[in-house]
Amino acid sequence: MRLEPPVPLAALAAIRAPFAEAGAAPVEVPVLQPLALLLDLSGEAMRPRLFVVQAEGGEELAMRPDFTIPVARAHIEAGKPEGRYAYEGKAFRAAPEGSARAEEFLQIGVEIFGNGDPAEADAEVAALAWRSAAAGGRDDLQITFGDIALFGAFVDSLALAPALAVRLKRLFTRPRLLAAELERADLGDAARPERFVNPLEGVPEGHGASALRQLWGIAGIEPVGTRPPDEIVRRLAERAEASRTPSLSVEEARAVRGYLAVSGAPMAAMYAIKALAGPATESLDTALAGWSRRVAKLVERGVPEDRMTFAAAFGRAFGYYDGVLFEVRSPVLGDERPAAAGGRYDGLPARLGAPSALGAVGCMVRPARAFAGGVE
Amino acid sequence: MSAQLILAIPSKGRLKEQVEDWLADAGLPISAPSGGRGYTARIEALPQVEVRLLSASDIAGALESGEVHLGVTGEDLLRERMVDLDSRVELLRACGFGRADLIVAVPKSWLDVDSMADLEEVAHLHLVRTGRRLRAATKYIVQTRTFFAKHGITDYRIVESGGATEGAPASGAAEIIVDITTTGATLAANHLKIVSDGVILKSQARLAASLAADWDAGRLAVVRQLLGLVEARARAKGSVMLVWPAEQDEGARKALAGLVAGGARPRANGLLLAERDLLAAQAALASAGIGPVAATRPEHLFEPVSVAAETLATRVTA
Repeated sequence: MRLEPPVPLAALAAIRAPFAEAGAAPVEVPVLQPLALLLDLSGEAMRPRLFVVQAEGGEELAMRPDFTIPVARAHIEAGKPEGRYAYEGKAFRAAPEGSARAEEFLQIGVEIFGNGDPAEADAEVAALAWRSAAAGGRDDLQITFGDIALFGAFVDSLALAPALAVRLKRLFTRPRLLAAELERADLGDAARPERFVNPLEGVPEGHGASALRQLWGIAGIEPVGTRPPDEIVRRLAERAEASRTPSLSVEEARAVRGYLAVSGAPMAAMYAIKALAGPATESLDTALAGWSRRVAKLVERGVPEDRMTFAAAFGRAFGYYDGVLFEVRSPVLGDERPAAAGGRYDGLPARLGAPSALGAVGCMVRPARAFAGGVE
Repeated sequence: MSAQLILAIPSKGRLKEQVEDWLADAGLPISAPSGGRGYTARIEALPQVEVRLLSASDIAGALESGEVHLGVTGEDLLRERMVDLDSRVELLRACGFGRADLIVAVPKSWLDVDSMADLEEVAHLHLVRTGRRLRAATKYIVQTRTFFAKHGITDYRIVESGGATEGAPASGAAEIIVDITTTGATLAANHLKIVSDGVILKSQARLAASLAADWDAGRLAVVRQLLGLVEARARAKGSVMLVWPAEQDEGARKALAGLVAGGARPRANGLLLAERDLLAAQAALASAGIGPVAATRPEHLFEPVSVAAETLATRVTA
């Protein structure tokens, strides 16, 4: 495995210092994590990056590609409502073929679990990432923000048919499908999908599942697997409904495209988004107000406003992040190799078995990248 | 003596028989050397060729590493082994056998799922309902990942399957499968249906050359001979040669002018034409009073240059 170039101890200490001041409990987590769990939480896109190991007769394990999942697991197993954890250790990612990237690298980071003010916690964690990365001595750093949840609030403002709104929100993290959806709007009626006829049309509410079973019987279909008949019944109706209702209008598609193109200083970006919004701005206004507070708190914590960028389309390809996310980048390193990164993942604790809703946000810095004398 | 060219062929099963029949039919029968333990063989007509018998999936690996120069195996296995197949091997020829489709299949009882777009939505519903990703059982991990990404499906995960993949939905090991099918009978028996736009690859056996292997002029010359024969045999199969009496040549040519314009090739007192045109040619000749006309099938139909062999030569000498 390729190692990183070493970071001088003094530089490492400077990069580590902001984390020590964060009042977080040091935590150690296993290098080896269950492969099935990592894939289930991060998705198949992660598989080519994982080093997989297996003891004879044991389950497949992967070397931790980062600390977020292991630390979240440790927190949930401890059964506490809130927690702040700092970690430092090696993480492992297989480099794509032909890439000279280090495959074994040092990460220092923090994960915060709790149900306090999310804007406050986001700002604290992003400022931590900024200060730590900046301590490496690079003077060209920029911090780029995105917000997956903000897209949802923007879509809500357009007051679309509910099924269409749900679909659009889902497609945010599937750029190719979203592009196809927007293109359909331009083509208008010519691109309407074929009318789908629900075979259970007219079956009264509550009798769907039994009607479906009868239909299976008539067609000689033996059901396999555990998908609930109710879900199939519901989706048949939704598909029929979707094929009747119009897709995005040209104006709505233009607004969505405009949203995705927004990129610039955070407050200017928020004004631009507000200007593009539709009539139902209630949840969007709340989200935009959250950003005003976030930016103010970031400035308060020492992140220069002129180094912040908000890019609306950023964050479309990240496994479990579902809210604000950010990367600290340097033009010398390139956008593909952030010196620090992090974000909010409120949905993850529940999927790991947390008994109740739990806010979660974290960040990590890669010292070998943050260090100004480093090449990786 | 010049260096050997190594040709890998499947060591067992139906595919082995088909490859052997295919080579024998082209005039390149394989003979096992006396005392050999069955892992190597020779082609008498091409003494520079060493035939190595490997498992179909090992052939893909040997082509990738350059251990063998040529190999015949399924395209599905080649594509699974090498994401960037086209930069690692040159596909010289589709063999026309070993046909199988790599497909995405879901339970027939999912009446709401016809297309990959439906599957994308159902995978998301599954994640929302269960907190877990929809599982796809397969041994074709690389191609599944690429295909699902192309269709924007992200809320799924792969469960590696060693065998009997089609049983995974019934056994509860996975919700859907990605597998090879030839007739679809096994899918039907397991209450599964193919997603309409879920055909990942229409596979068949391929003769492929490794770009990582050690090539030289001598070996390339052998490839030209081998490919020349195989291509000539395939070309011959669709062709018929007509020969008429020399004194009737002028009338015959006049009668068949239309076919010549359509691509049939004149020969001395005769014509080489596609088999499908045979009846039309015979009718034209009969109405012109030409006869007797002999129709024979050529064994081989050689062209001076094999385009596939020259493409390989260019790529490995560049």
